[in-house]
Amino acid sequence: MSIRAPNAIDFWRGFALVSIFINHVPGLAYERLTHRNIGISDSAELFVFLAGWSLRGIAAGGGDPLTVRRTILRVGARGVTLYAAQIVITMLAIALLAATALVVQHQALLEWHNAASVFHDPIRTHVGLVLLTHQLGYFDILPLYVVLMFGAVLLALVHRLNAGLVLPLSLALYVFALVSQVNFPTWPLEGVWFFNPLCWQLIFVLGFVAAGDNGIGAWLHRNPRKVLALGLPGFLVGLVIAAIGYNPDPLTLPQPLLFFVIDKTYLTPLRLWHALSLFAVMAAAFPLILRFFPVVVGFLCLLGRNSLYVFCVGSLASLAGQLARFVLGGNLAVDTVILASGIVILGVTGWLSELKDRLRGASS
Amino acid sequence: MALGVEGSIARCLLVAALAVVMNASALAAGGTPPISSACETPLPDIATPEPLPNLAASLERKLPLKVMAIGSSSTVGIGASAPSRSYPNQLSEILLRNYTDLKLTMVNRGVSGELAAVTAERLRMQVALERPTLVLWQVGTNDALNRVPVEQFVQTVTNHVRWMKSHDIDVVLVGLQYTAKSVRDEHYHAIRHALTELAEREGVLLVRRYAAMEFLEKAKGTPVLTDDDLHLNDLGYRCMAEHIAHALVVSSFLKKPKRPPLMQ
Repeated sequence: MSIRAPNAIDFWRGFALVSIFINHVPGLAYERLTHRNIGISDSAELFVFLAGWSLRGIAAGGGDPLTVRRTILRVGARGVTLYAAQIVITMLAIALLAATALVVQHQALLEWHNAASVFHDPIRTHVGLVLLTHQLGYFDILPLYVVLMFGAVLLALVHRLNAGLVLPLSLALYVFALVSQVNFPTWPLEGVWFFNPLCWQLIFVLGFVAAGDNGIGAWLHRNPRKVLALGLPGFLVGLVIAAIGYNPDPLTLPQPLLFFVIDKTYLTPLRLWHALSLFAVMAAAFPLILRFFPVVVGFLCLLGRNSLYVFCVGSLASLAGQLARFVLGGNLAVDTVILASGIVILGVTGWLSELKDRLRGASS
Repeated sequence: MALGVEGSIARCLLVAALAVVMNASALAAGGTPPISSACETPLPDIATPEPLPNLAASLERKLPLKVMAIGSSSTVGIGASAPSRSYPNQLSEILLRNYTDLKLTMVNRGVSGELAAVTAERLRMQVALERPTLVLWQVGTNDALNRVPVEQFVQTVTNHVRWMKSHDIDVVLVGLQYTAKSVRDEHYHAIRHALTELAEREGVLLVRRYAAMEFLEKAKGTPVLTDDDLHLNDLGYRCMAEHIAHALVVSSFLKKPKRPPLMQ
């Protein structure tokens, strides 16, 4: 398989991966430089939107249209891969916390990120980990992705049946979740999922629709200037909200509350609008970035092409960065080392992921 | 704000007297939840009563009561042998047994290991979604263990207590726990004292877990912690629930804001 040439999708996916790595080390000095500081959405929206975009390729197949059976197998297999990745990185994260607690003799580390019940109630919690109803803090986006990917079997089938139905159905589910405040429950601990799949499916579906070469997707590809014009107001509103620190008191907002509040769990409309607006600006910015910063584009595309591996290693690198800050203290020097090593680790992961393809290319 | 010795004595006497008076009036109106012999501590050790109008209305006029327990591992119930032994679940049982026609909904929103600032980030949204009439915020232990600066901790808790009170939500702070390791930890006690002062300043009921647990562990020799000397065992959660239930009901009979002047 040949390596894809740099493109906007891989670039922005790589950008999202680096941002997620940085944002998952709370307190890191460089956290202030990520794009969530200039708006009201963050890399999670970008990551899930691009996951939906990629689904289009998986569900569509290479050339000839896939049979129903092949579509189910292909999308389902991707879901299984994501599930396996979630289980592996969760176990590694638990081991990382435990090992650090042993080395530095600090028991409170076993409490971090919802991990305490893993150590104190292992029987129930291990069942919960496997069922994805127990998620460690910062290790909660892949469970969403797993649900979305298994749900994507249905999405792909509806799309084959009647492509025009996909977006209205997705929108209806989103509105239902906002009005009813329904979310997936956690177990064994009482609570709800940090990323509500019933809401986040909309941005995933929007990515799927936008990647299409007909309908809305075709219009988006044909009209980049109009897309930018549509995106600029939301982008500017996000800038203003971030600049003035606007954070409305949720108890003074009208009902249904989730239509008006800015919330990540339910990907509320304001966040969604801002995220889509930001994507429009990003799409317009890519040609300029490619022109002036080709090396950066090449590096981020390397990450973006190998997003699952890079995401998994990046999640663990973020946790290692948190632990390093805890042990060494948070200052600019430590933060710089964490950032630099993290980016190198992400790059090496991407490079190793493509090593087989590179070797094959060299020998042919 | 530091209390002088005379002020402390005066306040302790006042608290003891109030506790007796409140207990008597509560008994006359239907009875405070009993405290089992294993969990008995001197009453002023548990809490200083502060008004809880929503709880009072629910108990007196049988209005629905929605309680949201938020905090860290002690709210989750880490160390308990079963989820039913967590303090929010045991508290529900106690209140429902004591007030058979109480329309109580208990929501547990504990996340282990969480610092006050992280809890505060989700507290506003959780309150807005759940619309509780009473919030039990268990707070401070992780901030103390993770060396969060005292001023930062106080600012975070104060802001969110004021926000809830401004929306007429009853607020109860459930303070830091006792652990043998914490006895000589200056920062731990700095956070603990800061929380006590904050509760007095803001007129918020603070359940003083540290004093109650220390009494049980040291004076009575009743083990309320697991082997890790950090998390509560089943009896610890039982006592925690009993103490909170007692403090809640006693406070619910306090009609008027009671603000004894802090003496320097």
